[in-house]
Amino acid sequence: MSSLMMVGASSAAGKSTVCAMLCRLMRRRGMDVVPYKTLNLSLNSFVDRDGGEMGMSQAFQAWACGLEPDCRMNPVLIKPHAEGRMQTVIAGRVADGSGLRERAFAEAMGCFRSLSDEHQHIVVEGSGSAAEINLRHSDIANMRTARATASPVVIVGDIDSGGVFAGIYGTYMLLPEEDRALVKGFIINRFRGDASILDAALRRIEEETGMRCFGVMPYLPFRLPSEDSLDMGAPGELEGEDVRGAWMDNLDRLADEAERSLDVDGLLSLMKDSTA
Amino acid sequence: MQWVKEEVRDELKSGHRGPDESCQYHPCHFDGQDCSWCFCPFYPCHRPELGATVVSKRSGEPVWSCVDCEFLHRQDVSRAARELIRGEGIEDPDDPRLAGIFDELIARFNTRAKALMVLGATSDAGKSIVATALCRVLSDMGYAVAPFKSQNMSLNSFVTRGGDEISRAQHLQALAARMEPDHHVNPILLKPKGDAVSQVVVEGRPYADHDVRSYYEEFVPGEGTAVMRRNIEYLMRKNDYVVMEGAGSPAEINIYHCDIANMGAAKAAGADCILVVNIEKGGAFAYAYGTIMLMPEEDRSMVKGILINNMRGDASCLDEGIKELEGRLGVPVLGVLPHLDLKLPKEDSLGCRDIDGEGAVVAVIRLPRLSNFTDFDALELEGANVRFVDDPAELSDADMAVIPGSKNTIGDLEWLKGKGFPEKLRELKGKVPILGICGGYQMMGDRIDDPLAVEGPAPSSTEGIGLLRLSTVFDSREKSTVQVEGEAPGGGRLRGYEIHMGRSDRHGHAPLFRLKNGDGWRDEGCLDEEMMLMGSYVHGLFDLPAFRAFALSMAGKGPKDGEGDDHDDSVEEGLDRLAEAFRAAVDEDALLGGMLGALR
Repeated sequence: MSSLMMVGASSAAGKSTVCAMLCRLMRRRGMDVVPYKTLNLSLNSFVDRDGGEMGMSQAFQAWACGLEPDCRMNPVLIKPHAEGRMQTVIAGRVADGSGLRERAFAEAMGCFRSLSDEHQHIVVEGSGSAAEINLRHSDIANMRTARATASPVVIVGDIDSGGVFAGIYGTYMLLPEEDRALVKGFIINRFRGDASILDAALRRIEEETGMRCFGVMPYLPFRLPSEDSLDMGAPGELEGEDVRGAWMDNLDRLADEAERSLDVDGLLSLMKDSTA
Repeated sequence: MQWVKEEVRDELKSGHRGPDESCQYHPCHFDGQDCSWCFCPFYPCHRPELGATVVSKRSGEPVWSCVDCEFLHRQDVSRAARELIRGEGIEDPDDPRLAGIFDELIARFNTRAKALMVLGATSDAGKSIVATALCRVLSDMGYAVAPFKSQNMSLNSFVTRGGDEISRAQHLQALAARMEPDHHVNPILLKPKGDAVSQVVVEGRPYADHDVRSYYEEFVPGEGTAVMRRNIEYLMRKNDYVVMEGAGSPAEINIYHCDIANMGAAKAAGADCILVVNIEKGGAFAYAYGTIMLMPEEDRSMVKGILINNMRGDASCLDEGIKELEGRLGVPVLGVLPHLDLKLPKEDSLGCRDIDGEGAVVAVIRLPRLSNFTDFDALELEGANVRFVDDPAELSDADMAVIPGSKNTIGDLEWLKGKGFPEKLRELKGKVPILGICGGYQMMGDRIDDPLAVEGPAPSSTEGIGLLRLSTVFDSREKSTVQVEGEAPGGGRLRGYEIHMGRSDRHGHAPLFRLKNGDGWRDEGCLDEEMMLMGSYVHGLFDLPAFRAFALSMAGKGPKDGEGDDHDDSVEEGLDRLAEAFRAAVDEDALLGGMLGALR
């Protein structure tokens, strides 16, 4: 088994999409790959065949892998409802009581292990930003998951909203040293225009952090199922009869672009090196 | 130069003159200039900030030149000079006491403002709203404040009283600062035209078209930098504070050396900088840390504080993170601003937001290059439900359909046709009111001719939607930018502004508005009451209650109560609430003591 994890410099950096793309690319190469995300904070959920509730983005990533969605792919789902109250779903079912966080993490690692028994490769997605220093001790979804699963980590940054170099550099620098050792590189997402104007800046971030840039993804207006309520009503094309088919067509178009814009072989070799 | 002496002698004996509108050269310096001292009684002063020694073309000798000096043309300076000269009873231009009077005027008036620069870690950090809050807070303290943003990319522009085009955000900040905005507050405006090209508006007027590369390689190092510097200088001389706003992120290290919007401007003004980060999008600590650490060391020391913006819920959960950030950077976090729901105009087209009212459903077509969507903010005052739609089917249950302004009428008309909007609009004709504004108005006509390729890459002639008997031609590159005032249908007051290229000829329709035109009136727009069709070039047409009432009553849903509110009042209320929230959230000692403390 081997795994690779994508974390975000901000919440809507495009982690889910990059993970779905990677799942799709690996599937197209005939690889046995499964998606995984410890924790989703979302109201957009899906129900698997056995009635287990899970995040929509992992369901979508499962389809990208040619798999049936399974709530083990997203063992913890937190659904905010009125006034700061949250409903916690663990392994597909609503959970309550005390000590939820540690219970959830233990359960999540169990799910990860059982997926790794069944599949060769796991594409892991982080949650929100990986460097929320105020949450360092309570965050189970990002570096704690990376450490526990020994996954190499790539940071995804959204250039469309500005400040991406600062976001990626800051995310790396604010991580404790032991975590930094797991972080191998970064991807710039949603760029509009001629990417060559970024070259000098990318080299500088590589030099200052020792991370590697795995590419610059262009901004493409193809709509995918959105997990994040911030994206609601985002513009983009979607065509066809069955929306799942339409999403998958769009994902294939993104994956085609990723073959051109990202160092896919480099990303896959990161994964190979992690083989336990 | 004896004749100059005689002119000065006359001036010394005369009274205060104010602006001399009768002079053929007026205004030779600026609108509202004082003309009492057309010839300076203190010439030559040899103060380097007011003039320079040049070589005379005529004599070849060095001579003191102060053609651009505005000091004595300021009303306050001019009046004080008159008082002092009267007080001493000076009538002779060679009187040695004039030198002492000049020194006193310099000491009293030739001061430079303190500048603050509000930077953002990302584009949507909330720079603009923080700068707006600072303008109001400082104005409330009794200071003369001006906003400034050297370069703005936005399609939401505003036209000043002088006919200059500036961004909406700086207009709002000027309102917050209680100053009359002119082009100095936003001397460079970039209006995206599509295909990565922007129209560059300099000091209120169209200057040139540039793509990203030519903008940074040609415009910025030359004219751009000069424009930024001279407008900062102008505002610094006239105010106690200049509240500057950066653009995007200051840590775009690929364009750092040619960035005149962020640290370039801050350095020109010697500004203290505050960095704003948006906590809602995640990664705020990382972005704050990265932004400051990626700056060169000498710039880093100009950043005096960090503001965390847009916090929902209890801010104390950030304490641990704030402490660590402060420790690592040595820069204090000045406060945590809560998420505020303020009814203030937005600038960025990404912020075009639906308004969830219970009243009339107003469907605004979301054109790809939609401009001036702030036109619809005022409908919130009537409880309207404003939706931005991109599918003709979404017009079906609307009480009113609007085709808004566009930066590219012909391109967006093609988009509209591709989507099937014209058929839907023709189907709705006579059933619900249809309003076209500016570019949308042009689209409602029969034809749009562009013989000079003003809009597109080649000359073209395009069929319109055909709702109005109207033809538009882009027969010149001239851009019309003007504030207007007049009457809405029924006679109520109307106020707004026009920004467009091209002119439209109306064939047979009644006009929608009557606008003041010099001493008389002119007709503007089209109105077909029976078919409920309306079109106009006027932006801001909903700002005052009269036209809102007219349009919404046509939609079968009158305003929520008899008397509509003035949009201006609600903006004022929003600004005061914002300043209040800012004062409550920000550590005033840190901000006011440390940063604003250097008061004269």
